Amino acid sequence: MRAIKLLLLSASALAQNDALIEGLKQFQAGNYAAAEASLAKAQADPRGRAFLALTRAATSRCRQAAAELADQFEKNTDAEVRRLTGIALVQCQLGGNRIDEAQATAAKLRAAFPNDADVLYQLARLHMRAWNDIVYEMFQKAPASFRVNQISAEIFETQANYPAAIAEYRKAIEKNPRALNLHFRLGRALLLNSHAREALAQALQEFEAELALNPHDAAAEYQIGQILTAQQKPAEAARRYQRALELAPDFPEALLALGKWKLTERRNDEAITLLERSVRMLPRSEAARYSLMMAYRNAGRTADALREKAELEKLQKPPEGEFTEFLKKLGEKKPE
Amino acid sequence: MRYAALGVALLAVSSLPDYRNVAQRAGLVHVFPNGGDTAKRYILETTGSGAAFLDYDNDGFQDAFLVSGEGGTNRLYRNDQRGHFAEVTAAAGLGRKGWGQGVCAGDYDNDGFTDLVVTYWGRNVLYRNLEGRRFLDVTGRARLTQERTRYNTGCAFLDYDRDGDLDLFVANYLKFDFATAPQPGANPYCWYRNLPVNCGPRGLAFDSNLLYRNDGGVFTDVSESAGVATGQQSYCLGVLTGDFTGDGWTDVFVACDQTPSLLYVNQRDGRFSEEGLLRGVALDEHGKALSGMGAAAGDYDGDGRLDIFRTNFSDERETLYRNRGEGEFDETTSLAGLAHNTRFVGWGCAFLDFDNDGWKDLLLVNGHVFPEVEKLKIDIRYKDRAILYRNLGGGRFADISESGGAAMRERHSARGLAVGDTDNDGSLEALVNNQNEPPSLFAAARGPTGNWMILDLVGVQTNRSALGARVRVTAGGRTRIDEVRSGGSYLSQGDLRLHFGVARAPAADIEVEWPSGTKQTLRAVPVNRVVKILETEKPTGG
Repeated sequence: MRAIKLLLLSASALAQNDALIEGLKQFQAGNYAAAEASLAKAQADPRGRAFLALTRAATSRCRQAAAELADQFEKNTDAEVRRLTGIALVQCQLGGNRIDEAQATAAKLRAAFPNDADVLYQLARLHMRAWNDIVYEMFQKAPASFRVNQISAEIFETQANYPAAIAEYRKAIEKNPRALNLHFRLGRALLLNSHAREALAQALQEFEAELALNPHDAAAEYQIGQILTAQQKPAEAARRYQRALELAPDFPEALLALGKWKLTERRNDEAITLLERSVRMLPRSEAARYSLMMAYRNAGRTADALREKAELEKLQKPPEGEFTEFLKKLGEKKPE
Repeated sequence: MRYAALGVALLAVSSLPDYRNVAQRAGLVHVFPNGGDTAKRYILETTGSGAAFLDYDNDGFQDAFLVSGEGGTNRLYRNDQRGHFAEVTAAAGLGRKGWGQGVCAGDYDNDGFTDLVVTYWGRNVLYRNLEGRRFLDVTGRARLTQERTRYNTGCAFLDYDRDGDLDLFVANYLKFDFATAPQPGANPYCWYRNLPVNCGPRGLAFDSNLLYRNDGGVFTDVSESAGVATGQQSYCLGVLTGDFTGDGWTDVFVACDQTPSLLYVNQRDGRFSEEGLLRGVALDEHGKALSGMGAAAGDYDGDGRLDIFRTNFSDERETLYRNRGEGEFDETTSLAGLAHNTRFVGWGCAFLDFDNDGWKDLLLVNGHVFPEVEKLKIDIRYKDRAILYRNLGGGRFADISESGGAAMRERHSARGLAVGDTDNDGSLEALVNNQNEPPSLFAAARGPTGNWMILDLVGVQTNRSALGARVRVTAGGRTRIDEVRSGGSYLSQGDLRLHFGVARAPAADIEVEWPSGTKQTLRAVPVNRVVKILETEKPTGG
């Protein structure tokens, strides 16, 4: 809308083309039939052609609009016109199932407008569409594959339907017991599914099974460490975190976990070394910042602790203008 | 070896409390309404209400008081000293309707009779105890009238300025108004596991905590000047007082929901400084603000310092903060064996030594805020059982909930919890306020195995209720500590007397450090009795 307002201003100032001004006004008001009629008379002006194409795209006539949209997106020197025509072009390409073309256009759009919410939204839609198409294809072409069970399980996981996810992971493992990552994902789903202590033992078995397949899996070592911590076996857990770090020296969560253990053991200097590395790798991690703050405090390094406290408070501050005020308005009911 | 193991097992079983719910038999039969039972439209329906033990008529036996949400009345029950409670609400002048939240007790006018504050979504009420016969609403006269509707929650009397009369701290949850409150599902903070539910606390406006200074029975709101009202960005519920820094001045911990919990450290000049984050009690060990509800203080590891326990939400852990000295804490939940109960929403909680072995055990009661969760058929439930942890010594606990007796297995949507010895037999009872049901009264069917003493402190220069007095009991080579406190748990008030288990010791030395500064020592006091201790003007013993 801001683009149209600017165009209206410049068009008015020049007072060259009444049809263009009228077309832009009608487009802004959403009166597409009237907009098209006026803009059709202003095709000598590139802005007239751009908004005529946008009007046609907005009224489901992509085929008529596509060439002009592509031309305007490539050649127009006005950034706002390029942004609008680029977005419309991606929508048209998606609607016409031309995924590859849409991806190419979207990549150019992203390069030109990396922080634009509308552009990012189109990219999200595009990837979602591509993902859906591929999953559908997999279900069609290889319904008996363990990958179908695996992807089903992952979808159930995102929906927080953990019992179904667990069942699908188990089917996948039955079909392909040697496949990597299945035991790991099953272990995580088991932990998410239940608050019972038995779930810890079951998940532990799965992470051990993953390690049996791949002894270099640092993430599985780390998960076992987490379970052992929950089972109040901190020394055993620490050994697992240590092993995870041997496998992946820059594993920030393992650094954090091992650092926290050193903290409970009152080995403050060792804890600080590990936690400082963890914070360097995860500067936005509240957990890492908090543990480092406590380590400094316990070591008597008050100034450092206060500095970390300030960093932590910045992270914990709600986003600018928080949501809260907006949400309050959104949900507000007018007094009767 | 097998026989030795069997012996240990038998000993363990015989010292289990076998808690039974004796509320019905004891006459605690009234239902205390608190919002919907299958769905709750507003957050206000989720937070009530508290429970209290107090000896209002000074007959030496703890009476019971329960706070009600809208649709019922608060009720007072007099302990008839024979295991039964008679309802005396009307005669005592305590009937009152409204969205009652919390309760705390203390002798604010130092006349020797325990007074009551009841907090409300609305306006708080101070009841003066007229010589144990009835209560009089003196809110206006005491200048505690609130100028606007507030969502008052936990409260506690305390003598923060050590002038000998009791001041009052009141936590505030948030700003709530039926007319403007968003409806279930209205925004992302009104959903739980894909169910539309009551909104908040996130998305609702913060309010500020309150501190009232008492000068001869008249209160002044000093919240701003004392530093408890400024910049509050927390949704506050349970209030817990105690000398956490060990300097002899009472501090205030406040459990807060979805936001950092607060520790107001007494600056000894009439002001408090909020230092929860750096002192290690604001967040959990992952740097995350949990949904704090209730809080309890006790020296669980026997190092002579008050530790803090806090109840939280489902998919969170309870949190135990070990005091490492001078009011700096480390979270020790996992090390202490308390990290596994993650399906409960916890509320009232208390350190109590149920077996009198000299180690403070832990009791907490549970119940979800969303009755709608029942639709999901998962292991998180609206009504759920209580949890009992036995203190094993050495800083570790064992979960004995399932073997703690039938009362432990009953499912309720519990909130307030008060602990006290209602029959003065050395075995502690627990009073629980259950939403939309009669309360529970946990009583141990099996007597405690160890010896005990109950200390009933009476201040003279110090405030009459002896709030803030620090007691050390040494017996059998070990010293246990505790403090007299008002409020605590979740919006509740426990027995103001202090209970100590002393295992097999036949006698104990008692040291009292009064807020007036006087230190008083009693040597070789025989056990298994209630010991009344009147503050002396000069130090004694030594």
